[in-house]
Amino acid sequence: MGTAVGAGAIRPRSTAASALRRNSAYLAGLSPAAILLTLFFIGPSMWALYTSFTNKALVGIDAARPRFVGLDNYQRLVSDPDFATVVLNSIVFVVGSAVIGQFVLGLLLALLLDHSERRRYRFGTVAYAAVLLAWVNPTVIAGFLWVAMYDFYYGSLNTGLGLFGLGPVDWLGRFPMLAVIIGNIWRGTAFTMLIFLGALKTIPSDIYEAARVDGANTWRRFWDHTLPSLRPIAALALLSITMSTFGTFILIQTLTNGGPGSQTEVIALYAFHEAFRSYEIGYGSTIAVVMLLLNVAFAIVYLRWSRARA
Amino acid sequence: MVEGAGVSIGSEARVQTIVPPRVRPLGAGSRLEWVLMHIAFVVITVFFLAPFVWLFTAAFDAQAKAYIRFPSQPTLDNFVQIFDKYAFATALGNSVFVAVSTMILTVAVVALAGYSLSRIEIRQKAWITYAILLLQTMPLSATMVPIYGLARELGLRNSYLGLILVHSAIELPFLVWLMKGFFDSVPRQLEEAAWLDGRGKLRALFEIVLPVARPGIAVAAGLSFLSAWAEVLMVLILVDQQSMKTIPLAFYETFRTAGGYNEVQYGLIAAMGVLYVLPVMAVFFATRRLMVRGLMNSTRGL
Amino acid sequence: MEQQKSPVLSRRAFLGAMAATGVVVACGTTPSTSPSGSAKPATLSGTVTVSYPDELGAKPKYVEKAAADLKAKYSGVDVKIDLQKISSDDYYTKLLLALSGGGDVPDVIHVGGDRIGELADAGYIEPLDKYVAQWEDWKNYPQAVKDGVSYQGKVWAVPYGLDMRWLYIRRDVMDKAGLGADWTPKNVDDILIAAKAVKDKNAAPIPYALYAGVGASTGTANHSFVPLVWAYGGDIIDKTSGKWIGDSPAVRKTLDYYQRAYSGGLTPKEILTTTKPWTSMREKEGNGQLALLFEGGWVYGGWQSANKTETEKNVHYVLHPTLSAGPSFTIGGPGTVWYVTAKSKNKDAAWAFIAQWNNKDTVAKLNIEDPHPVARSDSADVAEFKAQPYLVDSTKALEKARFIPTDANYGKVIDAIQKATGRVAAGEMSPVDAAKRYTDDLKQAIGADKVITQ
Repeated sequence: MGTAVGAGAIRPRSTAASALRRNSAYLAGLSPAAILLTLFFIGPSMWALYTSFTNKALVGIDAARPRFVGLDNYQRLVSDPDFATVVLNSIVFVVGSAVIGQFVLGLLLALLLDHSERRRYRFGTVAYAAVLLAWVNPTVIAGFLWVAMYDFYYGSLNTGLGLFGLGPVDWLGRFPMLAVIIGNIWRGTAFTMLIFLGALKTIPSDIYEAARVDGANTWRRFWDHTLPSLRPIAALALLSITMSTFGTFILIQTLTNGGPGSQTEVIALYAFHEAFRSYEIGYGSTIAVVMLLLNVAFAIVYLRWSRARA
Repeated sequence: MVEGAGVSIGSEARVQTIVPPRVRPLGAGSRLEWVLMHIAFVVITVFFLAPFVWLFTAAFDAQAKAYIRFPSQPTLDNFVQIFDKYAFATALGNSVFVAVSTMILTVAVVALAGYSLSRIEIRQKAWITYAILLLQTMPLSATMVPIYGLARELGLRNSYLGLILVHSAIELPFLVWLMKGFFDSVPRQLEEAAWLDGRGKLRALFEIVLPVARPGIAVAAGLSFLSAWAEVLMVLILVDQQSMKTIPLAFYETFRTAGGYNEVQYGLIAAMGVLYVLPVMAVFFATRRLMVRGLMNSTRGL
Repeated sequence: MEQQKSPVLSRRAFLGAMAATGVVVACGTTPSTSPSGSAKPATLSGTVTVSYPDELGAKPKYVEKAAADLKAKYSGVDVKIDLQKISSDDYYTKLLLALSGGGDVPDVIHVGGDRIGELADAGYIEPLDKYVAQWEDWKNYPQAVKDGVSYQGKVWAVPYGLDMRWLYIRRDVMDKAGLGADWTPKNVDDILIAAKAVKDKNAAPIPYALYAGVGASTGTANHSFVPLVWAYGGDIIDKTSGKWIGDSPAVRKTLDYYQRAYSGGLTPKEILTTTKPWTSMREKEGNGQLALLFEGGWVYGGWQSANKTETEKNVHYVLHPTLSAGPSFTIGGPGTVWYVTAKSKNKDAAWAFIAQWNNKDTVAKLNIEDPHPVARSDSADVAEFKAQPYLVDSTKALEKARFIPTDANYGKVIDAIQKATGRVAAGEMSPVDAAKRYTDDLKQAIGADKVITQ
């Protein structure tokens, strides 16, 4: 595992001091970011870690006299039947909306748009703009837009179904997880689409030419050449959207607020609820730390997997 | 993102990938293909645009509801009201100022940091890169309380400086990581030539590397603007004063309080939403090619 | 919510004045009482920051008036008003953040009276006994009202508009459902029967709104669960031991009621998924799309101001029925009140503001605009107040009111109630299982030693 070395330059082995000297400019360059990250991420994370070992609350006796409780919060979390539901919901949500939804749809859209660009179909731009628009608008708006879609009595979806003579569906009441997954797919697909579009553009066309000359049909060309070239990017996109989907909660909060019951309570929302509805910030911090650990675990898994392939 | 894999592509290929190869057009396809593709386009467009119908009908509707209703008498009254009674002009102005400032600050910080991280040679580089990315996953609900305390101690609450700093910080880990990836795809030969010429590292960065880095800068600028424009949780804890509020706060205020106990004024919310969404739409659509190039190169160099 | 440094007084002068006031207060010096009986401290000075949220838009003018009047009385006092245009839930969160850290806090805050216990335990608010003892107007407050703002033997606030609730029934919908416009329930189950009739005859899109789950916030407890438990002859807290009751026959019957309402399609599932379900439900009751709703008395005011004749004709309000046609009741509460913060640097002036606000006229007028029974009996005698039949009815209903004791743990109990009702309403658990889980949740939240089952 070396560092990315420029072509042709051979660096002699160096002492720590000369390493520092060589890198001093770069360390300086990192410092503004380091300061901001320390103030707003590392510091607060340390605070959250410490608080997770206390029973601190924002109100009530535990606000006046919080106690250090060691691992009690973690024990409580692990033995809480609600938490098992929450983790399961999170997995379903991430797999459904990120892995299956945004990833696959993003890839399909990128292929479609790339092909349409080569064929010069103008209308592709409209579709492209539509996908971007869904991604670019702020989350609070997205929540309202989909509430309007899913409303039981007059929502757009049920009105549309009514036009075809089909009865109204209680989307948020009976299919809440599906509803939020679709909403999130709508929201985030543009990102993977953009990444794949870029990747597709860089696949040298010679590969296509060579394959065509060889007589391979479109499908084989895609399967044997396009997909493998996309693999490193795909892994990367997958990591990125998984981590960000794991932390999604404003959209879910606006659509279902974790309900009905706890059917769409994902871990990010659960942490928020414990911290700012029950005002138990000690316990809320515990959930946040666990979230972070889960992300770390996933990143390690990803790293092993992508290294094995590379 | 795997350091080892990044090396295996030779330097010639690297130089080539800075500028995307010209798309080799194919000839016109078959009729069937045209029809199928266009059906797909229509389906996609409808799926992605349908929810916006609510926004654009409710904004012009004095009796707007939470669901789509075509207004019997389209009116601009909602727009007038949000400027008159809900101080939307203040919110809009603040949002623009904060988002643009955040963009400028963030671009400067992450370009510098991304470049430095890309070029630095220390053994822990990969770990640090991953650690930075993982910082992004710290949920806001946990950091809100300490950031509130920190902001209050430093006098950052209810101030533009506070808003800009916090908005910059929010997307920082991801963007630093992205920029590092981007600069990884910029070959060192460019700077090294400049160093041999006697220019210092900083000058080389400015004069030689940055011009080439425009797509990456565009991505960082776009994403940071977008994230600052949309940020709501941090604004909730940083701002109490009416003069400092940004659009998301105005939005929540209107949602929660306009109409008293028994009603929500969806028309006002939709009107705010329209003005909230249009600027970002326009900017992103105008810069889409640059975005794609930037994202493409950011993810190549990993 | 921060006090800006006053440019008028120099910092040293300001601190000097504060120190002087602090010494006076600390020594427990009571202000001299004049022969007319009203306690007026010899002098007050400094800045008082008054912070409050407002949804309806009725309060600001009264706050400004109180501030102006106070400044007129004491020329050295400056009142800084911090109006937060956010909902009271969000206001409370931000307030707690401000109070829990160091730094400046407002002197006067405006929060629900049901929060007294938890705010007092946290050390955020200041007991007002020494002030009310010297306050002449305090005699106008009935003992029950005084008890409602007492906790651990001390008085913490002065209420002005009390909470009470009605069961609202749409006459027009009842008529359409074949039950007759003047239908009233004879007992609790009648509500569900009527709702079913409404559903079968399609007399209204939504028959009944029964709050459940977390989205409905305190409404789940105060407007649904607790009245039902009382209606079924039980209670949520055991008054003799002071312990909260978990699983009990009444709780099980209540959760069964929930299941019947939700699984029968009598009440909409959107209550479980919307963030502010009460707004939509209130709106629908007002325009006839919802038939039955148990909600706060103040909601009537919104309907009245939107459409007086229609509301008075069609919205029928009655007390909450019980299981065996026993005495109907309502659930009361102290309403939202002003508190003095414990870390306030100017408590005397803060109290002076509260006393100024709570004068007979303001209390009467505000509660006419935002209909609540008044806390002080002399305000109920104000002519305009007596002239409104609705207000007279609401005040009279308080005679049949039951109250939830001021207990610091009520907030956590509400959480457990929300979870239990949410599970049953979403169909995730049977009423019996949910009742058992309710006990477990309570024990986890407040400690096993404070929970009993029946």
